[in-house]
Amino acid sequence: MRRWRYFGYRLAFALPVVFGILVLNFFLIQLAPGDAASVLAGESGAASPEYTAMLREKFGLDRPLLEQFWAYIGNALQFNLGYSFRNDSPVFELILARLGPTLLLMLTAFGAALTLGTALGVLAAVARNSWRDALISVVTLICYATPVFWLGLMLIVVFSVNLNWLPTSGFENIAEGYEGWERWVDIGRHLIMPGTALGLFYLALYTRVMRASMLEQTGMDYVTTARAKGQTERKIVFGHMLRNAFLPVLTMAGVQAGNLIGGSVVVETVFGWPGLGTLAFNALQSRDLNLLLGIFFISASLVVIINLVVELLTITLDPRIQA
Amino acid sequence: MSGIPTPHLSRRALLLASAATAIAAPPAAEAQTPRPGGTMVMIVNPEPATLATYAVSAGNIPPITTQIYEGLLTYDWDLKPQPLLAKSWTVSADGKTITFKLQEGVTFHNGAAFTSADVAYSFMEIAKKVNPNGPVILRELEAVETPDAMTAVFKLANPAPYLMMSLSSNNIPIICKSVFEGTVPMQNPSANRPIGTGPFKFAAWERGQFVRLDKNDKYWKPGLPLLNRIIARFIPDAATRSAALETGEAHYAAYSAVNAADIKRMQANPILDSTTRGYGTTAATSVLEFNMRRPHLAKKEVRQAICYAIDRQFIVDNILYGFGKPAVGPLSSVFSTSGWFTADVRRFDVANRLEIANKLLDDAGYPRGANGVRFGLHLEINSFGEQWLRQGEYLKQALAQIGINLTLRSEDTATWLRRCYTDYDFDINEPFYSAGADPVIGVHRHYVSSAIRQGTTFVNNKDYRSPVVDKLMDDATRELDPKKRADLYHAAQKQMVEDSPGAWLAEVQYVTIFNKKLHDHTMGPLGTYEAFSRAWLER
Repeated sequence: MRRWRYFGYRLAFALPVVFGILVLNFFLIQLAPGDAASVLAGESGAASPEYTAMLREKFGLDRPLLEQFWAYIGNALQFNLGYSFRNDSPVFELILARLGPTLLLMLTAFGAALTLGTALGVLAAVARNSWRDALISVVTLICYATPVFWLGLMLIVVFSVNLNWLPTSGFENIAEGYEGWERWVDIGRHLIMPGTALGLFYLALYTRVMRASMLEQTGMDYVTTARAKGQTERKIVFGHMLRNAFLPVLTMAGVQAGNLIGGSVVVETVFGWPGLGTLAFNALQSRDLNLLLGIFFISASLVVIINLVVELLTITLDPRIQA
Repeated sequence: MSGIPTPHLSRRALLLASAATAIAAPPAAEAQTPRPGGTMVMIVNPEPATLATYAVSAGNIPPITTQIYEGLLTYDWDLKPQPLLAKSWTVSADGKTITFKLQEGVTFHNGAAFTSADVAYSFMEIAKKVNPNGPVILRELEAVETPDAMTAVFKLANPAPYLMMSLSSNNIPIICKSVFEGTVPMQNPSANRPIGTGPFKFAAWERGQFVRLDKNDKYWKPGLPLLNRIIARFIPDAATRSAALETGEAHYAAYSAVNAADIKRMQANPILDSTTRGYGTTAATSVLEFNMRRPHLAKKEVRQAICYAIDRQFIVDNILYGFGKPAVGPLSSVFSTSGWFTADVRRFDVANRLEIANKLLDDAGYPRGANGVRFGLHLEINSFGEQWLRQGEYLKQALAQIGINLTLRSEDTATWLRRCYTDYDFDINEPFYSAGADPVIGVHRHYVSSAIRQGTTFVNNKDYRSPVVDKLMDDATRELDPKKRADLYHAAQKQMVEDSPGAWLAEVQYVTIFNKKLHDHTMGPLGTYEAFSRAWLER
């Protein structure tokens, strides 16, 4: 019961945060020079002044800033994210279309990295200073230091161009028109390389944090006590230490969960993956403010929600924290 | 193209009778029989923001939309108008009336019959009002009369010889009146689900991934198209695009979808081939724009000196990897066929060019300082790709030779455009011009004084005001006689090169990379701005 009260308290805090983000984003974006109309007209090459003026009027860019602001806030409070004139499409639809592939890629990469990273971290800590520990350390260091775009391109060169095992890019093979189960297998094949390129970075991170955290627990009194009462090493590691050692990893994962929604511009660009990262990047480049604010709003809301979930998990793992 | 009526019916019959391969065969296509069926995958880069091609003229839209929408005309390799939705036409002697006879039995993808009402609506309500090129191309168009369902009569205020060069599917697409009537054109539901008369129908657009087009079974040209489906894929990274072509995942990539640095490698690949044809209406030229409001650049000697300092062949060889040729003036040599182009202008590619440049600057009253520098200027780097930064780096070295210290400034597209076309807060800008099929379409607006319009991108931002050039260009806009029109353009080029409001650097040659299994894709000067109605895949 107390746990839920605490949760409600945090939730009440979260709402002003989201609102603050909305307001801040709106005015921050205005600082960028140039507007959507001039970019669109620029891409059209030959646009006449009448055309540019028509665009400004249609986009509402000719209205006073405060008026634009109140219109935006009003819409946002009704969960109406507005219309992207550049894309001739409602913002919500644009975001929704990218949300699935983004979450698929990020959850796969993130999930695999978290599980595997924890396991490797435990393995390295248990066998501290052995050849296994050294090997894990070297590999994670290399993964951590390799630029993601380079890794992605190398994966393409090796596995697509030379070996021809996997498709170079994209979300699925449209030309073949797969359906049902076959389609999912096809999407899975497209997911392997971007998932790997992205996952290896997080894997390295979690392995190192988990290893350090496990080592920290080793010297704790409760471990000595457990050992003194004759517990097996396996039970000490998995029954006692793991849960405690996992807390820093969980905290870090919670912070990084924001990336889940933001996507990864680099990986999405290299592998032509239809994610939110590139959508946001293009929106910024083209000053598509409605779309950009929409993405910020969705991301901010989801980050707040994920943080709440992580907090709930932390409380479950360590009941001392709530107070 | 003149006031003389042309016998198009016979030419059209000829066109259909001869297997089109004979006219326009890409290298590997001979001696093979076209086979229907199959899915072609082309790379389009970057992904278009919208498919509303009637209202936005960005260059990455027509590769998709010209499969769906058709124009009144298309063009042959000599840039002579050819029938498409208009099967024949006559131009009155005074050039003020053009009568189009329309193709019968054409239906839109929604089932509506194509009539002259659609033509009138497309021109008067859509193109004239919301097409960014409309105010230029259709300036003289006063009305489109529709005496019967298959005749459209264009009434012009003044002769407009360039109009007949601007009626292709990517210039002015014919839209379905009943779909648009009573709606805001850009928010029309068909903006991103286009409905046209073309050989392929819009099927789906997965943002960030692809556009899928399906064969139009009811297409008015019998037996066409041959392909079942076209997928336009969007891959943001250049290296990945190249890889997709190398593995055979994609069959076709036009314009700069493939990095110039990768082209040689692609050409060596046994499954791939390349062509430089199909860019006949682009006339792409890289240029420098001088802001003549700035004290240094207000002096003709300084502008000419900069022109002399640049080794254009070096730019072609090293920045464009050989895909292009040095430019000599404001008109591209692509206009040699029509006679507009002349190389008889002040030439900056002379042997003692650096000597001349240094002398010009000395005479202008800018002696070298102690460190060898006369003065400094800023160059605004074009934000549309890596090659422009490399060009800027070369220009810095080139201008250092004549004692001008060039500082490079890179900004994102919106900031760059604002600085150069709204705030006029620049010294030298390095944009890129596409002339189109006629100088009126894409050349005039960079030089005539009436095109000094603050806030409008890619117009005369140089503050170049030459009554001579204004008059010559204005006359050329209305002149119907090709010989007289050529004389006007020759005089204008001479004057402009003499004044040097800008420097003309290189005519860019684009390369199309395609899979050898794909045939009959580049069938005319429009290249990827024309439907793949005859394209077919070997399997």
